[in-house]
Amino acid sequence: MKKIMVVDDEPDIRASVKTILEKKGYKVVTAISGDDCLKQLKKEKPDLILMDIMMPGTPTREVVKKIKDIKISFLSVVRTSEAEKEELMKQSNIVDFIQKPFDIDELIKRVNKILKD
Amino acid sequence: MDIIKELDQNHTCLGLVPSIEYNNIIVNMAWQLSKKSVCYVTLNKTYDSLKELFEKKGVNMKNMVFIDAISKTIKKIDDNEDNCYYVSSPSALTEISLAISKFLKHDFDYLIFDSLTNLTVYEKNAPVAKFLSSLINKINETKTRAIFYTINMGEQSELIKEVSMFVDNTLNLENTG
Repeated sequence: MKKIMVVDDEPDIRASVKTILEKKGYKVVTAISGDDCLKQLKKEKPDLILMDIMMPGTPTREVVKKIKDIKISFLSVVRTSEAEKEELMKQSNIVDFIQKPFDIDELIKRVNKILKD
Repeated sequence: MDIIKELDQNHTCLGLVPSIEYNNIIVNMAWQLSKKSVCYVTLNKTYDSLKELFEKKGVNMKNMVFIDAISKTIKKIDDNEDNCYYVSSPSALTEISLAISKFLKHDFDYLIFDSLTNLTVYEKNAPVAKFLSSLINKINETKTRAIFYTINMGEQSELIKEVSMFVDNTLNLENTG
């Protein structure tokens, strides 16, 4: 079973994304911040991390640098330009950028695609 | 909503924006205000994405300068651009305050703060309210008129209740096209 880590400081988002993805057969763990994510990665090895950009604590840019060999998709309300998205995706493990508010079917479709690739 | 008229009558306004219509409304407001000089403080859209959005929607950016507090959280920025000043993060309240103070000296007609909701990701309501009270006092000493956006979370929202006390008027911003 593929494992996904949902990193978001908003409890509602963590809970809803967890429920949605668990219904689709994924194992889901959650983290409340980038720092919590790094801490949990010492014992968890997810196949994908869905990470909010705007969270308290260490900036996401720094958190992402410390994560190796795990696919990361941003899941954020932060709006970037198309060029910025492309630039972000050039980082080896950033694979997608999902804009909040997201459509549930679209989220599932994109997660399925990432984990199939 | 005729935002120019509202800001003629009120020095500072809190704009309650329904989340579903957020982008349409902020574009509409920027379009109206861009006929005069505007300092736009962004905490949730990078300067590049705002530029992309405004260009697409025909908002004139010739009279606009930006304070961008989000780009540095996701990418490396080497230098400020001619019409954009970068702040390290939406949590850097002192840095944001200093940047706005610097820009207020240039007597912009309008200041748009987008948005208070994003400040509360990093700080509790009390420090945010203190920051705003100080900022609004500074704005009141200038000729610049300011609108602070926040997602409309209902009148029960503590932040909305607190900020409503500092500003001259609270507006329900609905998209009027």
